Amino acid sequence: MADLNIQTTRFQLPGGIEPEMHKACSTETPLEQLDTPKHLYFPVHYSGGGRGESLVHVGQRVSRGTPIIQTDSGVVHCASRGGQIVCVEPRAVLHASNDISDTIVIETDERLDQDYLEPLSWPWTREILIQRALDAGIIGLGGAGFPSHQKWGAQHTLVINAAECEPYLTADDLLMRVDAHSIVRGACLLARTFEIQRIVIGIEDNKSHALDALTTAIQSARSDCHFEIVILPTRYPSGGERQLIWLTLGEEIQSGQRPSQHGILVHNPGTLAALSRAVDGKPITDRIVTLTGDQMRSPKNVLAPIGTPLTELLAAGHTDLEHISSLVIGGPFMGFEVMHHDVGMTKTTNCVLVRDPMPLPIEPCIRCGACAEACPVNLQPQLLLNALESQALERASHEGLADCIECAACNAVCPSHIPLAQWFRHGRARLQADTEAQQRADAARLRFTSRTERLERLAKEQEARRTARRAQSVDALARVRQAREGNPS
Amino acid sequence: MMQRLRPQSTSAVMYTVLLALCPGAVVSMWVYGMGVLFNMLIATVSAWGFEALCLRLRGRPILPRLSDHSALLTGWLLALSLPQAAPWWLVVAGVGCAIVLGKHLYGGLGHNPVNPAMLAYALLLVSAPVSMTTLWVDPLNPPEITLAWSAFLGIAPDGYTSATVLDLYRTEFIGLTQPEMQNHPLLAQSVFGVAAGTEWVALAYFAGGLGLLACRVITWHIPVGFLGSLLLLSALFAIDPDTATPPLTHLLAGASLFAAFFILTDPVSGATSPRGRLWFAIGVGCLTYLIRTFGQYPDAIAFAVLLMNFAVPMIDHYTRPRIVGRDASVRGSGGLS
Repeated sequence: MADLNIQTTRFQLPGGIEPEMHKACSTETPLEQLDTPKHLYFPVHYSGGGRGESLVHVGQRVSRGTPIIQTDSGVVHCASRGGQIVCVEPRAVLHASNDISDTIVIETDERLDQDYLEPLSWPWTREILIQRALDAGIIGLGGAGFPSHQKWGAQHTLVINAAECEPYLTADDLLMRVDAHSIVRGACLLARTFEIQRIVIGIEDNKSHALDALTTAIQSARSDCHFEIVILPTRYPSGGERQLIWLTLGEEIQSGQRPSQHGILVHNPGTLAALSRAVDGKPITDRIVTLTGDQMRSPKNVLAPIGTPLTELLAAGHTDLEHISSLVIGGPFMGFEVMHHDVGMTKTTNCVLVRDPMPLPIEPCIRCGACAEACPVNLQPQLLLNALESQALERASHEGLADCIECAACNAVCPSHIPLAQWFRHGRARLQADTEAQQRADAARLRFTSRTERLERLAKEQEARRTARRAQSVDALARVRQAREGNPS
Repeated sequence: MMQRLRPQSTSAVMYTVLLALCPGAVVSMWVYGMGVLFNMLIATVSAWGFEALCLRLRGRPILPRLSDHSALLTGWLLALSLPQAAPWWLVVAGVGCAIVLGKHLYGGLGHNPVNPAMLAYALLLVSAPVSMTTLWVDPLNPPEITLAWSAFLGIAPDGYTSATVLDLYRTEFIGLTQPEMQNHPLLAQSVFGVAAGTEWVALAYFAGGLGLLACRVITWHIPVGFLGSLLLLSALFAIDPDTATPPLTHLLAGASLFAAFFILTDPVSGATSPRGRLWFAIGVGCLTYLIRTFGQYPDAIAFAVLLMNFAVPMIDHYTRPRIVGRDASVRGSGGLS
């Protein structure tokens, strides 16, 4: 039986807001398994884990679990259901960029064959677990889709991010209710493999069912791991990585550093549950998606195969495209608006949010400071906005643009309805591009100067050789002359 | 819960401030007569007129900006700051200065570096000093509505105005002892022994200001910083009651409470972080005390506010909170871009 300690956080977020949560509507109905859709879409490049490469060819028959995409990071994405590859064609992707990518389209069939991995049995090495995470396609399921294995290393603390602080989202909540055992098991085996001493779960106080399920799962786990549950007040954005670390451990991650540099590993519960299943041989093929929003006729959570088209998800919520005004993937704060609807969900699709956004007229900033009060990293968004509006990227960077976590709490409180977070996202992208351009320019300058130096050096050497040769020939001539003069014929 | 009370749009913020001004305005009319109402009405009309004119000249949409109530608020703030028997042209000129020079020349709402109402007040004070200093209504003898109307038209005979209490301390009270001062009717007939009538107006503004605090339109930093520093300074120097203006007079006789909640709290021209606002308000409080005590002007708020408005960029640079994850707070402007 694992050891458990439950406490309420002693720490407070600097800013944060208390938005209306709208969570109850999607948790009233039990989790529903979605029927296998006719077609499944797997973008080669935006499935998570970097750019990818197709491992299959048109006409090939795949089973549930067959590897179909190999990515740069080594993560392999698998087919979520069996069927025929009907084509690989450029299609829009479900990603904030709304980009186009080559997409593998699977036409599913009735056969339920599986192409799973061999179950692992303890003891295994770190390398074996990492390889398993790659083969099972494990990426961060919280939203960013960062390859999980890249975070693993010399850590002493595992923080499980069960805050789910964004309004509307209940996918993690549901997962904890129905499969807390997998989460706890995943955490234990990760801790055991990487010798992590401390496992801390941060959960907001509005998820009592999930908390009960976690408690039961921990208490019945056959493991000697010690768990701590830290209950957080419901306050957005307590689930931001740095915010969560502060609230659970009281540790502040230095600006510009990653939690892993502090020996802290943060994972979403879904990722840990997936890891637990991966050890049993099952790659990620399904995930829980929240279907919600004021325009979703029957809000609920569904367990859907990866690659399921958005239209099928909407149909599961008894809604169709004609009746919605905007479709957002993710929460209302950090989610992104979808431009193309005929796309497949990915591993990071945690929520389909359909609602009338009611855009309010943007008014000038009156420096009221409501945004600064809401900012969880103590930025002064009103000064940042001023810098960005006047194209002063350098000043914005001085004001701490790089420290913005893009939580959009400022948007929610701005009485002038200024889309501050969008300004900051754009500014951060430009800052990033500028830094990269600067690095490229520096590299080019270095190349140029070293080339010039090299050419100069070569020219000098050549000159020196030539001088030496000339001197030699002058010498030789002189000797010849001398000889001639010495020996007149 | 409190978050819900907070106005959800800029025009709602302005509207809330206008509402919060009402108790003070009504008590003002009761104490000083209908001149206050005339001033407010002409200020309303001219604020809308100048705002619409400027928006038209600048090629901006007129209706959305007019309906944000910001021009109206500027007009009302100025009207309530001006002498109650001011002639109509003084109000119109003042509102014109506030809207045109104070606001639109800098780019309209959100871009003015100084408080428009106070800019106009200071301009009027230096360019029409007689009207600005001699037309304060005697609260013990407020004019009838007809008399107030002729004063508004600028054709009234004299006899209903008097020096303000703050003025008395600078002129007539010099050389008098404290008990002798108390014999002056304005003090003798006052409930608090401070300034008859005027003190009720100040308290009504205070009530409105508490409303603003409750709706979270403003935070405590500015009223506490301003009133605190003003009271502290005046209390420190009030050891000799025969020469010093008492702290309670500083608080209730002039525009202190009005300014603490309605003038200094202009977010656009004030400092923006809570700590910055505290320093900004302390600065205004100290300057107000200094100008009232040593300067040429009876009430000093306009100049104190303008001076501190100029200091706002510097205050903002030195009062940013520490960004989470950094060792110290960011200072300075970070390059000239």
